[in-house]
Amino acid sequence: MTKKYDAIIIGSGVIGCPIAYELAKIGYQTLNVDKLPDAGEGSTAASCAIVRAHYSTEDGVAMAYEGFKYWLDWENYLDHAQDEKGLAKYMNTGSILLKSQGHDWRKVQSNYDAVGVAYEEWSVDKIKEMVPVYDLHEFWPIKRPEDPDFFNEPEKMLEGGIYCPEGGYMSDPALSAHNIMRAAEAKGSEFIFNAEVTAVRSENNQVLGITLNDGTEIDAPIVVNVAGPHSYKINQMAEGVYEECNIKTKALRHEVMHCPAPEGYDYLNDGYHTSDGDVGCYYRPEVGNMFLIGSEDPDCDPQEWVDPDVFYAGKETYERNNQLTVEQWNAQTYRCARRVPDMAIPNQPRGVCDLYDCSDDWIPIYDNSSMKGFYMAIGSSGNQYKNAPVAGHMMAELIDKCEKGLDHDKEPLQYTLPHLGRKIDVGFFSRNREINYNSSFSVNG
Amino acid sequence: MCVKHVPDTAATIRIGTDDCIDENITFIMNPYDENAVEEAVRLKKQTIDADVIAVTLGKGTAEATLRSAMAMGADRAILVKSKSSHDSISTARALCAAIQRDGDPDIVFTGKESVDNEGFQTMFHLAACLDVPVVSNAVKFAMTDTTIRVTCEMEAGDLEHIEMETPCVIGAGKDLNQPSYPKLPDILKARKKPLTEIELSDLGIATPASRVEMIKIESIKEERYPEIIDGTADEIADTIVHVLREKAKVLDG
Repeated sequence: MTKKYDAIIIGSGVIGCPIAYELAKIGYQTLNVDKLPDAGEGSTAASCAIVRAHYSTEDGVAMAYEGFKYWLDWENYLDHAQDEKGLAKYMNTGSILLKSQGHDWRKVQSNYDAVGVAYEEWSVDKIKEMVPVYDLHEFWPIKRPEDPDFFNEPEKMLEGGIYCPEGGYMSDPALSAHNIMRAAEAKGSEFIFNAEVTAVRSENNQVLGITLNDGTEIDAPIVVNVAGPHSYKINQMAEGVYEECNIKTKALRHEVMHCPAPEGYDYLNDGYHTSDGDVGCYYRPEVGNMFLIGSEDPDCDPQEWVDPDVFYAGKETYERNNQLTVEQWNAQTYRCARRVPDMAIPNQPRGVCDLYDCSDDWIPIYDNSSMKGFYMAIGSSGNQYKNAPVAGHMMAELIDKCEKGLDHDKEPLQYTLPHLGRKIDVGFFSRNREINYNSSFSVNG
Repeated sequence: MCVKHVPDTAATIRIGTDDCIDENITFIMNPYDENAVEEAVRLKKQTIDADVIAVTLGKGTAEATLRSAMAMGADRAILVKSKSSHDSISTARALCAAIQRDGDPDIVFTGKESVDNEGFQTMFHLAACLDVPVVSNAVKFAMTDTTIRVTCEMEAGDLEHIEMETPCVIGAGKDLNQPSYPKLPDILKARKKPLTEIELSDLGIATPASRVEMIKIESIKEERYPEIIDGTADEIADTIVHVLREKAKVLDG
């Protein structure tokens, strides 16, 4: 028996779930399909789940700042839906953006002013007072530890930082997606797991539905690709879609490290999320009083593009799957340790290795396609977790408007952020855009 | 102390050609050896005039583990270089020769086992070569001027208190201490600490009369057969008891 839905969403990560939730709220009967056993178990689970407002574009800042309103008011956002696993918790550590040559912080500051983001400018002394474990010398330019200059003694000091009191991270990214799934189910959405999509069916350029690996066909006039690192594979299944996209996505292997905080420093409770373009890292507290260290993708680091199916199956040779490499462990921990010299660096690498779904310009694609009924929310490039609830709402509106006749390619949707009241040109996220050279081309977005 | 460069316990071990594991994986210091290094470094902090030396037998890449030991506080290191792998007797003889060439140690710390081969033999062979007493799985260690008091865990929860004199070999257990991880300045200092390289062939080790020969290396296939237990709480409890009694055979009667 073929069951019919109004919309099928491929993927149940932190963006797929809110799209279902928002569509359900406006009356769509939705079905999410995911090849994994539960919501948020894919690349969402490995996300650092950082919630910060600094982006290189004004709309980027606005969207992220809008996202805060959801994370801060999580239970209301979920409409008090129950989740047997409990609720994810927003940890409002506050966020420091160090003023460095690695970030265009002046642009960020003017974006903050334009959007109305609350912030304070902190001097080096103020940062030192708030975070005594930081060494605030300038270590620029970013190098790898194999470079003998890596260990040069710094001479200059940094200029200070921009502190946002609103900022932090979600305690458990997979759980946050699960929470949204439960909220969506309360509105009538359905989810199936362990179900891999093998075909996107269409006729006369109208999407008809999907086929699963067990042969099951599920029909819907709307199919949304939110497949994370598998996004390009899903686009390739939809006839003509992959080819027509000017901006493509692909999967980038990425590592995050865990190191114990300096002895006597309660980083978990007293620490701040910090974006440190001077050493090309960002870091935030992690359970166990650890530093969680992510990379800002400096030019000197190699990029490893992989086939997501091969990666997740652990098929590729050697340790390249789900395990940290010694070289990158050294690079990220040593860089962070220049800022935090008393941080401990274990002999055994520990952390998380997963994939980014990366677009050509590291800006996501939130768009329809030339195939009627086929939409995409892809290319999150490691920087869209914080925007997930906003993206869900925006995608639902885009889908609803397009289904009711909007020609989004000709007249892009002007989406109003519900809390900030600010309009965003959704055409900014078009699959047909030229590469946006204003982007940071990194996780910073 | 003796340390060993071993595959990361988190690594996916693959068997390459010639019955060797594919070594293009992360290698780390054997975790129990971290306890050995930590105890030696702690002892140095209490004792004046102690020299903490890390020794290993391995390939050139084992230098990384010696640098780790020096970052944790060892003063210098000796690398006995060999391209092939060795059984515990040959390893003990090589370590013994390298140690004796360097001087007369009061205490040789090792890990209680290495996580790669898990032979549990090397420290005993080493003590025999050095002709000194040995204890394994030490979980407490105290030293006075004349005596060493060690508590060893024999089996789970079964402790044995032993008094011994130097020189001796102590196999460090996991509960002996909490290894303190190095910081970047320690790692930097360790890059410059002295490391002596010796070719194994230069040590003139006699071939042991009996040796362990590795015939074949195979990976173990872990097969699991999960079953879903359904029913009411009482039925589920009955099924679990049945499984524990009949299949797992861990319940009597």
